[in-house]
Amino acid sequence: MVRERYGESGIRIVFGDIIDEITHEAVRRFFLHLTSLNIPGIVDIVPSFRTCLVHFDSDRVRYEQLCQLIDTTEADRKNMVLPDVQRLEIPVRYGGDYGPDMDFVCSYSGLSPEEVIEIHSAGTYRVHAIGFMPGFPYLGPVDRRLYVPRQATPVLKVPQGSVGIAQLQTGIYPFESPAGWRIIGRTMMRLFDYTKPPYSVLHFGDTVRFVRV
Amino acid sequence: MITVVNPAFLSMIVDNGRFGYGHIGVAPSSGLDRFACAMARFILGNIDSAPVLEIMGNGLSLLFSEAVTFAITGARVKGTLDDVPVEPWSRTKAPKGSVLKISEVLEGCRYYIGFSGTIDVDPVMGSRSTNLECRFGGYQGRPLMKGDVLELREVYDPVGHISVPDERIPSMGEPHIIRVLPGPEADYFSPLSVKFLSNRNEALFFKASARLNRTGIRLEGPAIQFRDEAEQSIISEGILPGTIQVPPDGLPIINCVERTIGGYARLAIIIDVDLDKLAHIKPFDRVILSVTDSEEAERLLQAKKDTVAFYVKKQ
Repeated sequence: MVRERYGESGIRIVFGDIIDEITHEAVRRFFLHLTSLNIPGIVDIVPSFRTCLVHFDSDRVRYEQLCQLIDTTEADRKNMVLPDVQRLEIPVRYGGDYGPDMDFVCSYSGLSPEEVIEIHSAGTYRVHAIGFMPGFPYLGPVDRRLYVPRQATPVLKVPQGSVGIAQLQTGIYPFESPAGWRIIGRTMMRLFDYTKPPYSVLHFGDTVRFVRV
Repeated sequence: MITVVNPAFLSMIVDNGRFGYGHIGVAPSSGLDRFACAMARFILGNIDSAPVLEIMGNGLSLLFSEAVTFAITGARVKGTLDDVPVEPWSRTKAPKGSVLKISEVLEGCRYYIGFSGTIDVDPVMGSRSTNLECRFGGYQGRPLMKGDVLELREVYDPVGHISVPDERIPSMGEPHIIRVLPGPEADYFSPLSVKFLSNRNEALFFKASARLNRTGIRLEGPAIQFRDEAEQSIISEGILPGTIQVPPDGLPIINCVERTIGGYARLAIIIDVDLDKLAHIKPFDRVILSVTDSEEAERLLQAKKDTVAFYVKKQ
């Protein structure tokens, strides 16, 4: 674990250099533990693939205080019993109007649409981060055979529920949005509801399987 | 109540922002010029959580159907209340039936209007700020349109006159001189192209592109070179408002208030006291980046807080 200051009001904690389950668990442990402490002055904690970014309000808590707290609670974190993750199945309609980039993915990968669908829906993916927009899950790892680059220029608008792939990741756009990933399908499941806690259907660490419908 | 007769280019409801949900991707969506928002409230003696309007462009027109006091802060504007010039950065009483018009923005980009009451919209996830992209918060999750009616709750009548003297109003014109601290991937770039990060006498000169909004500000100018051996992107992770990312094309993007995660190398992070300047960058404005250190950033921040505190106490 490496801790560094991020600007004036951030602390960045790095748990590893690559994307793997050990790093993910360390991030999740840190995130859940620090969240459970309810420290006044911590504004946000953003967990991701290999780091956690702690955003604090310097009027309410000092940087040095937080660093000390982080450094002295290592043992508590280790002993913390982690809650189970949700295992979610998400229904997807692949291809056609639902997946306008299916042709690109096929020609880039040399696979048929059937194969793309089979491979994409065979995987169990980890929620490695939620961001870009509310409730957008960064899911991975995706089978190498489905590797595609991002769009060089993002598409201006994809519909809510669009399921995309890029590099070794897959994700779902919870709102109509510009998109840099290749869209291969769409889900009707609502991933984010700002009117009801906990707002996001998915949480950091959950697992997702896509089910073809 | 207040009727929007003309919403100008873009008008929306903002407050201090939506915090505590960064882990599910919810960004602050706060008013971009926090000092201006705070001063609008302080001038009116309003509570810290009171929302204000954030407005861009000429032509705003509001009809007051009840007597209310308002304050305009942020970008320097020329306006009238029933054809009598209005003094910005101070209290103005609007009688019932009066009409406020903003004819011209003289310096800066976004201006703010606060009222002696609370704009009656429901908070969403703890904030009344508008998340334009996802269409929630603020006024039905969208910019104000002609004919919209804003109801005010807890309207009060502030006594006396409070205004901010000219010398206390920050400059909002260009060039925008923005001070930064080095970002986590500062060493991804060729030392020659980021010399400014290790030398206070150096600076990087850019122009703001036309691609700018509350999500990000894309800069144009000399492309920043990556080191040959460096990755051109990162494994996506958390970013804060004011993080300057550099995509593979070398042209920096300043993260404003609508993103919590980024995937580009982070060259630098704008210091707190200069964040408000993001509200006033217009397309083709000159933007100059120069480096500072945490101690100076803290000192500058304290000085700014003292300015705010000075006004709070005076009330």
